[in-house]
Amino acid sequence: LGDPQNLKCVTHNLHKMLCTWDVSSRGRHGQTDFCYSTNDLTPQVCFKSKERRVEIPIPESSITVTIKSSGTAFATKEFVIHQKDISFFPVTPHILSLTPDFPTSTLNLKWSDNGSVFPYGLDALWQIQILRKESMEVVTQVTYYSKLTHEDTILSWNWTSDIPLECTSHYVKIRCYVNATQFVGPKDWSDWSPAEVIPGKDTEPGESGVFPLDPVVAVGSDLTFCCVHEEDQHITNMSYGSKSYTMMQLSRRSHAIRVLNASVSNSSGTNVVCILENGLEGSVVFVGYAPDIPQNLSCETSNLLTIKCTWKPGRPSGLYGERRTKYSLFERTSGKNISCEVSEASRDHVCGFPVLPDQKTYDFILGVSNPIGQAQSSLLVDITQRVRPNAPEKLTVTGNNSTSIQLRWFINGSFAEIRLLCQIEISSSYSERKLHNVSMPGRKSSTYTAQLNALHPDTEYQLRVRCSAASHFWRWSDWSKGVEQTTSEA
Amino acid sequence: MAAAESPSTALRRRDLCSRGIRLAGKMRADVVDLLDAYVEQQGLDASASVAAVEGVPLAAVERWDEQTGTQRLLENLAAYRAFRALLAQMLEEQREQLGEADVGLGRALAAVLLQVSAFAYHLEELLRLESRGIPGEEEEEDGPPPPPRLSLFEQKLRGLGVLRELAQWAVRSVRDLRQLTKPSPATGAAPGLAESP
Repeated sequence: LGDPQNLKCVTHNLHKMLCTWDVSSRGRHGQTDFCYSTNDLTPQVCFKSKERRVEIPIPESSITVTIKSSGTAFATKEFVIHQKDISFFPVTPHILSLTPDFPTSTLNLKWSDNGSVFPYGLDALWQIQILRKESMEVVTQVTYYSKLTHEDTILSWNWTSDIPLECTSHYVKIRCYVNATQFVGPKDWSDWSPAEVIPGKDTEPGESGVFPLDPVVAVGSDLTFCCVHEEDQHITNMSYGSKSYTMMQLSRRSHAIRVLNASVSNSSGTNVVCILENGLEGSVVFVGYAPDIPQNLSCETSNLLTIKCTWKPGRPSGLYGERRTKYSLFERTSGKNISCEVSEASRDHVCGFPVLPDQKTYDFILGVSNPIGQAQSSLLVDITQRVRPNAPEKLTVTGNNSTSIQLRWFINGSFAEIRLLCQIEISSSYSERKLHNVSMPGRKSSTYTAQLNALHPDTEYQLRVRCSAASHFWRWSDWSKGVEQTTSEA
Repeated sequence: MAAAESPSTALRRRDLCSRGIRLAGKMRADVVDLLDAYVEQQGLDASASVAAVEGVPLAAVERWDEQTGTQRLLENLAAYRAFRALLAQMLEEQREQLGEADVGLGRALAAVLLQVSAFAYHLEELLRLESRGIPGEEEEEDGPPPPPRLSLFEQKLRGLGVLRELAQWAVRSVRDLRQLTKPSPATGAAPGLAESP
């Protein structure tokens, strides 16, 4: 009687092991002497223990344990523990945080890998369980791999739910397995951690409504909407747009519908309506497209004061108002960022950017974004090679005789740093349309003149002018308004 | 017994009342059209039952027959001021949510808002005619306290409730103004506001 029995040793960290044993009924309340030695040469190490559990280092190979229980009758028992008899499973992992992001229905889990207690470089496996509803049904179980680095590392993992987190409570548990290949004893998973919970709205007193509330999603998404209601309220119908859907019960206060492959919504969104016995709850979902990559991004200037960039937006997003696609023009060299006022309805997309002092080359990034996605296009341009002046104005005949006509016109713009090339179109009933090119130094918002010679006397001429940059031709301006002039008689 | 009003005042009031009746009639027709367009554009069910919307004055009134002319005008004025603020907010939300997506609805909403404002001014004219102070003009500057931020669906339902109630009010206003033009049973002359039941 009172014999120590069932000696078991377990390790959680591959350094120390926790040995526990039983004592038959009569000797249960007395103190015990626990002595061990790794081999015959080393002296025994002894402990007194009332709880019948002792933590000692893991032996290289085996140890001899002597347990003397001092209850009503002294009983001594000897055990030999080999490393293969010691079982190893990590301590239960500790969840540091479980953070919901409701708009994306994503849970972020953070936990410590407790790596400091283990040798460097061991592989660890983590099983993460997601459970749902009051009945805590397992929704998914995922295995996550990590490498222990002999330091406590905070690990992070995200999970996106297929139903909104508001709809019902979500629980997360985690357990660990360390692949200690050198350890010869039996290895096993740790215990599951206590479940961390993100309570659903269906657990909040007085809360009701359809969730998610007013989301923006991509065309083709599969959507789940739930109606949270008071327990005594009966739901008569849940519809998406004009169509009713079969409901799934998530809890006593939460019912859901599943909409597959959502199509683009109209401008005011698609209503998700939950009709209750004495009330109406609803949400509005906006289904649209992420912005396309802008095509044909092109930038030019008409006055070397403002740069005008244009592009083809691609497929309309189907989103309007505060959810519309927004554009910004970022110039890398100067770091200047301009948000563009682009109206949804207008066909042409234009954005202005100031010509900066002492900067000719512009490294543009056109950024496009809406709640569903973003895209960008880039363009590197020397703006002095992208001059397309405004149409010349106030074309005037300033003088003439029988064979020549002097012209003057005005061009708005700051062209002092470039030469201009202007082309005068000369038409008359006498001869075919002729083009007369003239080049001149550019100036700042100035008038320019030219003289046409070798004309026919007493002849009516129609004249108009257009201009461009003389070097690095880019595009002609529009033609000026025409003028008519008759040369004098010879 | 209030002193009988001068013939010119009575004539002026009858003129204002009949013009008010025409304005209310036109407003009602426009509100009904707007309501149809709104229901369609917002993807709502025309038959949806909408709980009483906070801040929307109810057209239904008990003992309508017993109201004095002044009460009628004052209640009408308070109602259309409230509608002016509600419609202005609807217009703001419309721009915020839809931008330029549905310019037609925005214009129709703005047109009704204009009519409501004009009708409110018309009612003030009638009250001034009776040398009655225009109530609450000082508070008007600050306007009603901003309503709580509603979800988009709640905004849609509120809009539905506002337009439905405005259509009812336009009908009531016609009846109220007609009531003001009725001759008083005793004198046979059109009654001063205070007297007219």
